[in-house]
Amino acid sequence: MPSLPVTALLLLLALPAAALAAPFAYITNQADHTVTVIDLATDQPVATVPVDKSPAGVVAVSAAGKVFVTAPDSNAVSVIDMKTRRTVATLPAGQGAVGIDAAPDGQRVYVADWFGQHLLGFDTGTHAEVLRVKLGRAPAGVAVSPDGRHVYVAERDDNVVAVVDVAAAAVVARVPTGEHPFALLVDGPRRRLYALNVYSDDLSVIDIRDPARPQRAGTVKVGKAPYGAALAAGGKRLYVTNQRDDSVSVVDPDTLALVQTLRGFGYPEGIASVGDRVLVVNWMDENVSVLDARTGRELKRVDTGRNPRGFGAFIGAPGSR
Amino acid sequence: MLSRRLAVAALTLLASSGVALAHGPTRQKVVEKIAIDAPADAVWAQVKNFDALAKWHPAVAESLADKGNAEGSVRQIKLKGGGALTETLERYNEAGKSYTYRAKDGGALPVTNYTSTITVSGEGAKSTVEWRGAFYRGFPNNDPPPDQNDEAAVKAITGVYQAGLANLKKLAEKK
Repeated sequence: MPSLPVTALLLLLALPAAALAAPFAYITNQADHTVTVIDLATDQPVATVPVDKSPAGVVAVSAAGKVFVTAPDSNAVSVIDMKTRRTVATLPAGQGAVGIDAAPDGQRVYVADWFGQHLLGFDTGTHAEVLRVKLGRAPAGVAVSPDGRHVYVAERDDNVVAVVDVAAAAVVARVPTGEHPFALLVDGPRRRLYALNVYSDDLSVIDIRDPARPQRAGTVKVGKAPYGAALAAGGKRLYVTNQRDDSVSVVDPDTLALVQTLRGFGYPEGIASVGDRVLVVNWMDENVSVLDARTGRELKRVDTGRNPRGFGAFIGAPGSR
Repeated sequence: MLSRRLAVAALTLLASSGVALAHGPTRQKVVEKIAIDAPADAVWAQVKNFDALAKWHPAVAESLADKGNAEGSVRQIKLKGGGALTETLERYNEAGKSYTYRAKDGGALPVTNYTSTITVSGEGAKSTVEWRGAFYRGFPNNDPPPDQNDEAAVKAITGVYQAGLANLKKLAEKK
């Protein structure tokens, strides 16, 4: 009987701690084989962490206190401890790991193996491989359904998104996209998936109300070579980086109308949002633009290493586990 | 019979080594800048036309464009030393004195998936021209031959930009 109030008290204590934990951005520098850690309380780089070769994809898993980075030239995933800011493990990950995302509970990460054509799952605690599912051609971006039961993978060269049922360890459906889908983003509240199509310069809006049976629900035209997407401003804005247009498209996800096109970026790639800010990785300029999420105004630029990618959900908070 | 078996074995070996090897190429870039003692408007006037490349780049013999400075315009470049390039205008920004184009794969440069932007900026009597490009090496798989590796790609593009910018400076500073 007393366990209930205790649990409630613990929850109460845990919640503000999670909300207040200072976030950090973890940016993969492909030409330096490092990750730049940016303290988002001060917008200053605070560490450069050596990782395996040519890091591209990244997911910061706050619940596990770790950052997982795909290193395609090492056929590996590097694991960074958020607290010590050191690489603590290298996981063999097929033949060119690219996209990566974490389950909502942080217990697993899922990695797309580009040349090996598999989806690989790893336990974020033990680092054991816990899932291996055969995929189609050039699997790139990965996104996990809000309930964690399905993983979506962009099969870029097949112009589809594959739906992997985690429990069944099998592809259970495929949904057509535009041309060359690369990055994926789940919009939990709207129960949607966005697939960014690098060749057709648009994004496919996919209804995932039934997570196992996704349906095409619309297309939004953006700039040339859309590469990364993030929801910001409490989910009221969808930001999309357009790599070959040096721009960022701002979309109203409720109406799917283009609200704004922001310019002056340098081959923008990865993008992530926290609080009232959006971070855009400028591959060409070797820095990160910090934007005001409501207005899109650039507040600051923070230097990274060479050829930064930041492909994935690169913001996390080590204190919020 | 033996040779056939050997050939099969060799092919299998090749295939398996290909599988065992890593990821293909990673994207490379080159950024070159030059300071010019001439107003930005004057420098922009020399480079602004997509088909004017032959007038200011010392390696280019011809650079005819089918739709001028309209986005989608395609220029056919013939090099003085032989070889050709086909480039499409992707973005044109008159106010920002900048344009971006994309090259068709298989041209004279040892690169693929190549996009490039030239931008003129400045104040008063001085200007800066920045020319930058993003590309992959010419050889798409692992173990590229030396003339198609990352270094060769970076070297070729660096050479194109440096030669062009040096000559542009000479032309723009000539009174």
